[in-house]
Order: sequence, then structure tokens, then C-alpha cells
Amino acid sequence: MIEGDDLTLFASSLRRATETTTGRELDATLDDLGWRDALAADRRAAVATLFELQGRAGATSSALDQLLASALGAGSQSGTGVVLPRPSRTSAPGRVVGDAVEVDGLASSAAIEGDELLVALDDGGRLARVATDALERRAVTGLDPALALVEVRGTAASPVSEPVKAACGWAEAVAAGQLALAHEQVGASRAMLALARDHAVERIQFGQPIAQFQAVRHRLADTYVAIEAAESAVLAAWDDGSTLAAAAAKAIAGRNARLVARHCQQVLAGIGFTAEHPLHGYIRRVLTLDRLLGDARSLTAAMGAELLRTRRVPQLLPL
Amino acid sequence: MELTEFRPALDRWLDEHHDELAPPYAYGSLDEQMAQLSRVKRALFEAGWMRYGWPERVGGLGGSTLTRAYLGEAVTARDLVEPGIYSMTEVLAPTMIDFAPPELAAEMVPRLLRGDEMWCQGFSEPGTGSNLASLACRAERDGDAWRVNGQKVWTSLAQYAQRCVLLTRTGTVESAHRGITAMFVDMDSPGITVRPLRTMHGVEEFCEVFFDDVIVPIERTLGEEGGGWAVAMDLLPYERSTALWHRGAFLHRRLEQFLDVLPDSAVSPADVGEVFQQLFAFRARSRATQHRLADGDKLGPETSVDKILLATTEQAVFDFALDALGDQLILGDDDTSRRWRAEYLYSRAATIYGGSAEIQRNIVARRLLDLGADR
Repeated sequence: MIEGDDLTLFASSLRRATETTTGRELDATLDDLGWRDALAADRRAAVATLFELQGRAGATSSALDQLLASALGAGSQSGTGVVLPRPSRTSAPGRVVGDAVEVDGLASSAAIEGDELLVALDDGGRLARVATDALERRAVTGLDPALALVEVRGTAASPVSEPVKAACGWAEAVAAGQLALAHEQVGASRAMLALARDHAVERIQFGQPIAQFQAVRHRLADTYVAIEAAESAVLAAWDDGSTLAAAAAKAIAGRNARLVARHCQQVLAGIGFTAEHPLHGYIRRVLTLDRLLGDARSLTAAMGAELLRTRRVPQLLPL
Repeated sequence: MELTEFRPALDRWLDEHHDELAPPYAYGSLDEQMAQLSRVKRALFEAGWMRYGWPERVGGLGGSTLTRAYLGEAVTARDLVEPGIYSMTEVLAPTMIDFAPPELAAEMVPRLLRGDEMWCQGFSEPGTGSNLASLACRAERDGDAWRVNGQKVWTSLAQYAQRCVLLTRTGTVESAHRGITAMFVDMDSPGITVRPLRTMHGVEEFCEVFFDDVIVPIERTLGEEGGGWAVAMDLLPYERSTALWHRGAFLHRRLEQFLDVLPDSAVSPADVGEVFQQLFAFRARSRATQHRLADGDKLGPETSVDKILLATTEQAVFDFALDALGDQLILGDDDTSRRWRAEYLYSRAATIYGGSAEIQRNIVARRLLDLGADR
């Protein structure tokens, strides 16, 4: 467990790292800071702290690859990329066809620099290592070019090694990734609220800060409540430990981040619509993160379908 | 006792005593609900459950306050008591313990816990709704007593109450929140008249209470003279913490009952999933609040977030019911339909009572976002 002063110190180092570096540079700093050791020692503290800060700073890193690799029991050496499911999906991105492995998913641009990619197979929890250059790679520009996603698809004639049984199931790895992404969305949401809040206090119209108008105050209050709800949900999902709780937390974080984006954009008004203001970067980020490991809408519909099928409300979060 | 021990033991006891504790009605009148509440509280007190989590000096057995949160969850989720009337204890007893003279708290709080008495909360007035600091119900010093004149309104369950935690104006009207004094008043004092108000959900839950030269002994002052605002600010976070956890348990139970009977394809999976997630987020938030309370943290304005989430969730659950079971809720005349209809209607008040949705947002804006005073 990382707690007390150790956690404070760890968090402040990570804060500095995420605020001053991004991408490969941040990866190198995370290596120096021993984030991977922290991940092995105390997954919750390592993930919650880093992803929230990464979201706040709008930074990118390979931490999600490392988390998924670690959750799948495949180690978490720097440079092992993990293929994510296709946008909005949660199913494993790989399929065995004869001797070959068919892959259809997303990866980070850092991941495809490595010689091989880790691919979870949809056959009940096995993993394959696939040569990166055996796959077609298309850089995704999309709404958030800074996130640097890459579409990876194709059939690798033979995997680098025989598929092995993952130490931990794909569903659990997805849940870990969903919690990380929920933290990142909460962090980005907090950054948006801070921008809008400061603007409301400084911007003078009709002779007073716009923060004094109830229409603005209540919009910001609703934003705050939406973020608190999402954060409570993701923290509680760690306590609960179920895959259902993790999916609920990711859906809540995704849906609420959209509300946060809408309210903050409205409060920031014209300046928040310009490319020189940082708001748009966060909006791009939260909308894109929502597409990874299941979007809010699909996760919610799937959850509802299950409730309708069983006619039971799962009793999550015991006191 | 700690929660890990308390929970299974209580569950077992409630299972064993289910038949004698279950209400004798499918949908009771308020009189019947109040009688049921006293009966259940007495049984819980005698068996000890109702005493855990309360200090020994007021008849409790000490231990974690989480046991109180779980007890309310267990009895409301089993439909043994109505959550609103049960949770009045969680609203009023902590403030009595914090502000009443110790002998008074020691004498009175056990009566509330045991179900011997019901208490009410005299805060709102005809001219004082959201702007609590403008209250005008007057208390003047008269020898060793206060003489109270004025009116309260929206006083829940005053017609059943033996006592009232009353806020009065002892300073000038201009003194606003500085000139308020809180006191603990016997409801059988000469000069008190209670007139119940019938609500749209068909229950005489709220009352008007009139005070006409009511004498209150000075020893019944809660906190300092002129310190009534501190009492109110102490009480309101309690109203927004454990009581809400109990209400969340009740909503969980109802959602499950709605799911159990709703016709196939009456609602879309996405609608079901969203209301479930709202309940999940509320429960996550409120659970953290219960743990903070148990750790001895002082609750404050952050409990307004809990209230906003609960009110939004309660309305979402009953909006869902209206979508899923509209024929039954609107046209049904059996006990279950009448009960759910009343609960649907009552859910409309969730954004009004206990500090309106607007007041909660004002608190968030000023105290949590530091946006400065509003104009």
C-alpha cells in the first residue's frame, strides 16, 4: 500500500511530471519515478493518482498499455503495447483463425513503435504476441489528434509465440482500464471546471463578475456536482471490485464529462470557443476517451438490458 | 460494535423476527405508519440494535455510527418503516447531543430512540422559506423563561410530536442570523396549536404550528442565546447525510420492485441502465459521507452535493416508474398502486424540502466553488 507521506510525495512528483511533460517524455519520467513498481505494489493508488493528473494536465502516456499488460499478467515492461478493442467496444480485439491471429482494434502511437503487440483473444482469456509490422496501421487523426491513436488491423500469419493463458481474464483487464479512463475523465473535467470558474470570477459584465449571476452560478454548481458524482462512483468502484461497478463508473464519468464540457463551454463563451484557449483540448480528450473500452451509451444500454433480463438490481457498494 | 459484526447479526435477527415486525398493511395511513414506526423502534431498542452508534450518555451503546446507517438501510429496504419518518431521529438526535445541556440530552434522546416520542423541527415560517435567517417567530425573556409568539409551517409530523427543536428570533429582525436562538419545546405547552396541512400526495405530513405566549424554561435553550444559527448549521448536514443513505436504500428497493413487475419492452434498456447508474453514483457519494461521519469528520456544505444527487435520483426513479408502469400508477386503485402513486407524487417534493434545489446550488457555488456572495 502506498499511503500517507509516501502517497503525497508520489502524487506531487507525478503532478510535476504530468504538468511539464507528455508522450514519450512523460513515459521516461514515469519510468524514472518508478510508476510501474507502484502499479505492481498498489494498483489503485498508482492508477487513481496518475490518471487523474494526466487528465487534468491533458497529457498522454503509455500508462494504459502498462496497466492492461499488468492486469493481464503479461508483465509491464516499457514498450509492450496492448491492442485495445475497436472504438466503443469492450470485446477482445484478437481472434484465432487457423494458425493465424486476426486483429481489429486500436493502439497508441507509442505502442506501435515496439516490435510486437499484445493481443487478447476472444477465446476465453488467451493472449498472443503479434509482430507489429504484420498489421496494417492507420494513424487516427480524428477529434483528438494529440491522443495519437492508431487503428491496427489485419491477420498475422503466425504469432510471435504460442498464445498463452492470461493470468487474469480479459473482463478484469477491461475493468481496470475503465477505472483508469474514468479517473482521466474526472481529471479533465476538473480542469475544465477550474477554467470556467476562474473565468466567471474575473469576467466583468454589467459592472460585476459574471460569477454573481445565478444562471452562471447554478451551471457551475451542477458541473461541480457532476464531477463529484463521477469521482465518488470511480472510487467506490475500486472498493466494490466488480466489473459491473467499473463499467458503471466509466459510463458515469463519460456522460458527466459531456455535461461538464457543455456547461464550461457556455460559461467560457467566446473565449472558450477559440483554438488558443485550452478548453477545446479537454473537450476533444473526454469525448475521445469515452470511445475507449466502451462508451457511456453502450455500457449503459448493456447494463440496462441485463437488469431487464434478470429483473434484479445488483446490490453493489455495501456500506 | 463494528459494522462487520453488526450487519450479519442484525440481518439474522430481522429475518427471525420478520413476521412480528412486518407492517399490518400494504399501504398504511399516516396514523398506522406512525404506530408501526413506534412499534419497530421499540423492538429495535429493546433488542439493542437501535442503541449502537449512539453515545452511552444518551442511552446508546457506543461504537461506529456506520451501524446506524446500516440499521436504517436494513429496516427501510425491508419496508418495515417509511424512510422519511424513521430518519427524523438521524436529523434531530445528533444536534440534541451536540447542543442540549447534557442532563436534558440524557433524559430526552433515549425516548426518541425507543420510539416513545416523536420530535419535530420548527424552522420554516410563512415568510421564511429559503431565507432561513429572516425568521420572525419571536422569543422574549420573561424571568427564567422564554415567552414565544409566532408561527411555523411545513413542520413535519408536528401533530404526533411531543417535542420540537424550535428556532426563534431573540434579537432584532435586522440581526438576521446573529439574533436567532434555538430551544427544545414541549408540544403540550399551553398556547401551542397544531394544524395539519393536507398535501397533494394525500397525507397530512406537514403542519402549521402556532405559538401564543408559550412559556419555555430557560434550561431548554439549545446552544448559546443568539447562537441558534450554529445549531441550524449543525443540524442541516445531518439532514443531508445518514437520513439520505436510508432514502437511497428505499429507492433501491423500489427500483427492484418496479423492475420485477414492469411489462416487457415498456422501457428501453438505456433508460433502465441510466437510472441504475444514478442510484449507483448517489450510493457511492453517500457511502463516502457515512464513512467520513464515522471517522469523526465534521460534516458541512459538501453534504449539499449528497442532497442534490438524492433529489435528482429520487425523481429519476419515480419518473422511470411512471414511464414503465404508467397505467398502474395513474389508474390503479389497489393498495400497491395507491402507495406507489403517493410516493411518485412525494418525489416531486424532493427538490423542494430540506433546502430547495436552488438553495443547495447556492451553497455549492458559494461555499465549495468560492464564487463569492450572490446578488
